[in-house]
Amino acid sequence: MTHVQRLESDTSAPSDAQSPQDRLVMLLARVEKGDREAFAELYQATSAKLFGTVLRILKDTTWADDVIQDVYVTIWQKADRFDRQRGSVIGWMATIARNAAIDDLRRAPRHQSEDDSHLEHAAATQASAFEQRDQDESSDRLSQCLEELEETRSQMVRLAYLDGWSRADLASHFGQPVNTVKTWLHRALKQLKGCLST
Amino acid sequence: MSDLTDKDLLAAEFVLGTLDDSERQQVHRQRQQDGELEQLIQAWEARLAPLGDEVKSIAPGPHLLARIERRIDAVEARAALQHSDDRVTRLRRRLTLWRGMAGVSSAAALILAALLVGAPTSSPDQSQFVAVFQQDDQQPAFMLSVNLEQRRLHVMPVTAKPMEDRSYQLWIKEASLGPTPQSVGVLDDDLSIDQSALQQYSPELLKRATFGISVEPSGGSPTGQPTGPAIHGYLYPTQAPGNQRL
Repeated sequence: MTHVQRLESDTSAPSDAQSPQDRLVMLLARVEKGDREAFAELYQATSAKLFGTVLRILKDTTWADDVIQDVYVTIWQKADRFDRQRGSVIGWMATIARNAAIDDLRRAPRHQSEDDSHLEHAAATQASAFEQRDQDESSDRLSQCLEELEETRSQMVRLAYLDGWSRADLASHFGQPVNTVKTWLHRALKQLKGCLST
Repeated sequence: MSDLTDKDLLAAEFVLGTLDDSERQQVHRQRQQDGELEQLIQAWEARLAPLGDEVKSIAPGPHLLARIERRIDAVEARAALQHSDDRVTRLRRRLTLWRGMAGVSSAAALILAALLVGAPTSSPDQSQFVAVFQQDDQQPAFMLSVNLEQRRLHVMPVTAKPMEDRSYQLWIKEASLGPTPQSVGVLDDDLSIDQSALQQYSPELLKRATFGISVEPSGGSPTGQPTGPAIHGYLYPTQAPGNQRL
């Protein structure tokens, strides 16, 4: 369990001291004012999480290095766009990182190894990784809802979100036409939304 | 099972990551204008965010932060440059005015002054101002720095060279001083000027004033007005107030 992951699961811990979440909010507020020291601290506190997120999608450290650079420059420039009402700092940053990685992957898929073995590996590690999830309430809820999905569909959701698989990747892995995959994904998403809203 | 609109499905697949390149670019554009789509995307981000807990943290290479900081340096430098470009544009308008009023004629001879602002510093000195006298948008000819608190000025030649049988003369122009420029003084042969030459002017006046440097016969203008080609500058704080970032 990493530092950053602990930060995220710390929401309910009552404490007189500044919570790690509050610290990130404070750092980001200073970054917004152009504080480079705060930026370096924010980087130290969050870069492993963001790099892990991006690397898992791109599977190439050089490529992930490049994307992470863009991501932190974006964070520097757009620190004022963070809205505390919308969620955590780390969540906001991770979203920027995921979007950048997936945008890049979709734009230039040739970067990624054509060998499918990393896909197999990723798929094989899903279940065990999932069992080690944080005992966070919203986490648990999503986890329950994913379990209610047909197994293939919940795997697809996870492979798409975490590993950046395209519809075509999923189609080839599950031996289905792309359109079928699209339909399955839509059904899975509808079901998830319904489950999460109850 | 709830029923999802096409837009909601688009938002969902965008967040899930399964859209192709052109679809993603389309969503990036559309969400800027479509508040409903933006809301739907944010809702899906919130729904799926807990999945991110599964990602193992992996420390990036040790040199990445330094590379990012260099990138930010470059971004900030460009922002400062853009900022000064905006000022140059404003300055040009002001110069047109100055030029007309001063009666300095030849447009070819009259050289635009440009203004550069130093990169933002962490410890701004609010009393330090600088004007750059720039010829033909090339290298600055002179820089003028003024400490408003002490009303001390310092002229630094950059590319300007002393000329035989010619003198450079510094002028100040401001509405309250009348319609024509006032002489601040003639630059010495080493292109320096008496540091206290601005003592008689208030800091407020100096902030509003336009400065000009003209080429005059040796010893200064015989008419009390600029007679030769002039270049102009306008004081700006070395640290602009407010946020300089993009």
